Amino acid sequence: MKTIVGLLLFVLVWEILALLLGSSFILPTPVETFKALIHELAKIETFHAFLSTAWKGFFVLGLVVLLGTLIGLVMGINTVIYEILRPVVMIVQAVPVISWLALVIFLWGIGWKGPVLISFLSLLPISIFTTAAGVRSIDKDLLEIVKVYKIPKRKVFKDIYLGSIVPFVVATIDISIGNVWKVILVSEFLCGDKGLGVLISWARQYVDVPRVYALTIIAVAFGIISERLTKRFVRRLTRKWGMS
Amino acid sequence: MGNVLEVKDLVKRYGKLLVLDRWNLKVSKGERIVLLGPSGCGKTTFLKIIAGLESYDEGELFLNFKNLGFVFQEPRLIPWRTVKKNLLFVSDDEGKIKEVLKMVKLVGFEGHLPSQLSGGMKQRVNLARALLNDPDLLILDEPFSSLDLPVKLKIMDDIVELWKESNFTLLMVTHDVKEAVYMGDRILVLSERPSRIIEEITLSFHGDRMLDERFLKIEAQIIRILSSL
Repeated sequence: MKTIVGLLLFVLVWEILALLLGSSFILPTPVETFKALIHELAKIETFHAFLSTAWKGFFVLGLVVLLGTLIGLVMGINTVIYEILRPVVMIVQAVPVISWLALVIFLWGIGWKGPVLISFLSLLPISIFTTAAGVRSIDKDLLEIVKVYKIPKRKVFKDIYLGSIVPFVVATIDISIGNVWKVILVSEFLCGDKGLGVLISWARQYVDVPRVYALTIIAVAFGIISERLTKRFVRRLTRKWGMS
Repeated sequence: MGNVLEVKDLVKRYGKLLVLDRWNLKVSKGERIVLLGPSGCGKTTFLKIIAGLESYDEGELFLNFKNLGFVFQEPRLIPWRTVKKNLLFVSDDEGKIKEVLKMVKLVGFEGHLPSQLSGGMKQRVNLARALLNDPDLLILDEPFSSLDLPVKLKIMDDIVELWKESNFTLLMVTHDVKEAVYMGDRILVLSERPSRIIEEITLSFHGDRMLDERFLKIEAQIIRILSSL
């Protein structure tokens, strides 16, 4: 109920602002936008664009979690590797999206690879550092048990290290799922050939502002729903870590 | 009877801080030794030295046991593993796991996570883990400090019963005089840091110590020693 009231309040403020500005080139009214939204939802082109953005998003998320966890795990276990790789990862983290954009356009031109690589490189450092921090903060008391009972390394890796990083992998997913759609849309906007970001770019070129807003609503709704579903799924899997 | 461990002029420092000041101690096979001393006097440090978790700076240490069991002050269980998997972490012998779970009266709780157990039950898993590899020497590091009295008494009884059955050597540290008198055959009273062994009390009487008036006399004797420090 409170959510609905909040949404209605948002639409009301939007309507008032649109009326005050009086220009649908800057801010179309909610009615104009919802008309454009219905029009967009009826088009197969929008559905294809949505699917293209969705697969890229989930692909990037999977890749970020997988590779980020692997690299973070190695960096967390081995201090020397941590010290060597940390500056590299920090540099990758600090590079602006626009610089990656120049690189991928030189490499591949317009296409799906650019948005995927840019999104991947934008999110990978978070995953690496979160996992490495998890491994480095492993309970020292548990490691004393390992020493006292001379537990084989295989077991220590499986039961202690992998177990310890689960909350941090979940944290990575929590952070990344919220950001991945934004990054994908921006990179599609800049160098994609398909996807919601590309449609937004075209709508901007035709100065079709209600359509820009309508596509944004689709992207926001998809982002929120996918975030909620993913978090619920991951938390159910990790209930025994006491995180739910 | 051979010595399970022997310590000669053992010294341990943390930087400039002297913790153990020339400890001398011999522990025979099958003894129940309790080190009783104030908090921060280095009791746990001494146990860690025996378990190979800490080094020492001076003196000699002779260890003569095959298997060590260590009951930590806190249960130190892997939070995301069930009771059974916590035990499988230490030993793959499922038959032995069943046996120790029976010993510590935790049959039926194999599939529980640590978060689903009470404090006393967690401590029993801690004990079960220590018993898994048939220890010659069982070390107990203030294992009852976080338990309420009925649970504490029950687990102390259980450990004494297990000791009677298995006849391992038991080395316990505590700052609780009652626990020391209840669990030990020999009580070594420690001074404050830098700690030394200042008194050795041998308890020759058997039976139910809680109900024996000699228990109270020994307790009073130890309290007098501790209060004179």
